[in-house]
Amino acid sequence: MSWKNIRLIFIKELVGTIRDKRTIIAMIIIPLIFFPLLFAGIGYFSKVGSIKSEEADSKIIIHGAKFSPQLVKHLQDYEKIEVLIIEDDSPSKLHNGDIQAVLVIPQDFIYKIEQEEPIKLILKYDTTEAKSRIAKQRINQVIEKYKGEILLQRLSRLDLQEEFLTPLILQEENMATAEKMTGSFLAVLLPYLIIILIFTGAMHTAVDITAGEKERGTIATLLVSQISRLEIVLGKCFAVMLISFISMVLGLIGLTLAFLSGASIAGGVEGVQFGISISTVFLLFLVLFPLVGLASAVLVMVGIFARNIREASSYITPIYMLTIFLGIISISQGMELTGKMFLVPVLNSSFVFKELLMGKIYWSHIMTTFSANIIIAGIALFGATRLFGKEEVLFRS
Amino acid sequence: MIQVEGLTKIFNDKKRGRVVAVNNLKFNCRKGQVFGLLGPNGAGKTTTLRILATMILPTKGKIMVNGLDVVEEPREVRKQIGFLSSETGLYDRFTPRETVEFFGRINGMEDKIIKKRTTEIFHNLDMENFQDVRVNKLSTGMKQKLSIARSIIHNPPVLILDEPTVGLDIITAKTVVEYVKSFRDQGKCIIYSTHIMREAEKLCDTIAIIHQSNLIAQGTLEELKKNSSSDDLEEIFFELIDQGENSE
Repeated sequence: MSWKNIRLIFIKELVGTIRDKRTIIAMIIIPLIFFPLLFAGIGYFSKVGSIKSEEADSKIIIHGAKFSPQLVKHLQDYEKIEVLIIEDDSPSKLHNGDIQAVLVIPQDFIYKIEQEEPIKLILKYDTTEAKSRIAKQRINQVIEKYKGEILLQRLSRLDLQEEFLTPLILQEENMATAEKMTGSFLAVLLPYLIIILIFTGAMHTAVDITAGEKERGTIATLLVSQISRLEIVLGKCFAVMLISFISMVLGLIGLTLAFLSGASIAGGVEGVQFGISISTVFLLFLVLFPLVGLASAVLVMVGIFARNIREASSYITPIYMLTIFLGIISISQGMELTGKMFLVPVLNSSFVFKELLMGKIYWSHIMTTFSANIIIAGIALFGATRLFGKEEVLFRS
Repeated sequence: MIQVEGLTKIFNDKKRGRVVAVNNLKFNCRKGQVFGLLGPNGAGKTTTLRILATMILPTKGKIMVNGLDVVEEPREVRKQIGFLSSETGLYDRFTPRETVEFFGRINGMEDKIIKKRTTEIFHNLDMENFQDVRVNKLSTGMKQKLSIARSIIHNPPVLILDEPTVGLDIITAKTVVEYVKSFRDQGKCIIYSTHIMREAEKLCDTIAIIHQSNLIAQGTLEELKKNSSSDDLEEIFFELIDQGENSE
């Protein structure tokens, strides 16, 4: 085996990939330009939408207004509420968006206040409409304020102070470090994103330089050269690894830019301070590399087996779905892996990423994940080389 | 230069079962000679040439290329051969210069020699004016010239050409035939497969006719004519096929 030959194939594949317009679109334009613009647009429009909803008056109907004039007055006094007193309780106006909420006051309101019994008010709203949700919040505020007044009156009748109602005060202090705060915030989505970016980054190149070479008939020209089949497979696999890694890094940069641009327009992110230590970054990479190798080797193996690009894509779809499934499992909150589960590729990496981002370093998990993924990547690479040596696979038609 | 003795290739096909692609072939090809493999599609020409080019292994038989056994020393054999087929493609995103240099490197040549050879070949094949244009922008004729340049960059003594004119217009096909003649004149040993009778007539010093995996006749055009009632290669071909089928 000669590294010089592997390097020749590696460089040829890299140059070919970089010169492919589709790679540039997928690797640079989509993550670095399209994502930030898309998120900025979403941020902008949601901000505009929420400002509009906040600024508009909430039109509400009070059904049974005569049973509690005082509550109606409180609602009328609220600057952003426009009260329509209609005795008709039809929900159609709520549904067609003319009004945002309906408050139903029961007949026995005053009687129950006097008897000091709880009164049931009914608030009808449409949770799918932002304006209706805001109307609900505003009515709630008014009702809470009115409830407070009634309580104070009752307390003073009993000659009690307001403190009577609060025998205990619990003061909460968040002891999480900035690193952990960042981690817990990132740990939710980041492992999933990393895995998806690695696979999508590797997919196009892996198929193009294996099944694509078969389809275009260039593979035979490599087979009659001085380069061995092992060297060809290794050169191709290393090229896919590098492309996959760069796509992932660019994808993460793009998503960070997208998130920041979207969030800053929508009003900023609270409670997140970015702070990850160098040792964590090092360990993240330690887990990352075997995963990149694994994805590349598996996809190259599938590409070599397939007759053409179309066939390769149809083989890769279930693999991709499985990866997404394993990634989604890692998003689920409260899910913990047991010892042997760290042998499952993809799932193991996403959990170790999660642990590392939370500041937890479990060497047994890191080493199991690292070794399991390296071994499986090695098996896939061996399989790819074996397939590349089989004439019935190379010359299938 | 090329000696083929008892070459047999059997594939195990899932649908068709045991398929004899090539059965007990025997032929020789000398230096400065064009050896034509003539036969219809599916006769076994491509399989034979793939075995000679070390891409696939024979089931039986002994094949020597320039004194080297294709099964025992495939890497050394590959140094001796240039391979071109109608199926061999080119890398669309590379220029002719990059393509030829890449194939020089993967054939173990030194950069200095590659540069010299590339300039020489581009001059001989009249490729200088498009040497830096990407392949996807080239015409079919230009691409075929590049395919030839790619297969001879390492100056191999043996050329294996599998239907190199298929899909080409008549002008490009004629150019290819002219180059093959010039390679013969340079002393190369050329195995040339085709199903076009006129091409075989004009180009090949010895013709072997393959039909249904078997070599049914072999000799110079004159020898083939002598053993036949016709003077026309096409008619000789059909006569031989009929004889072959009747004897079965």
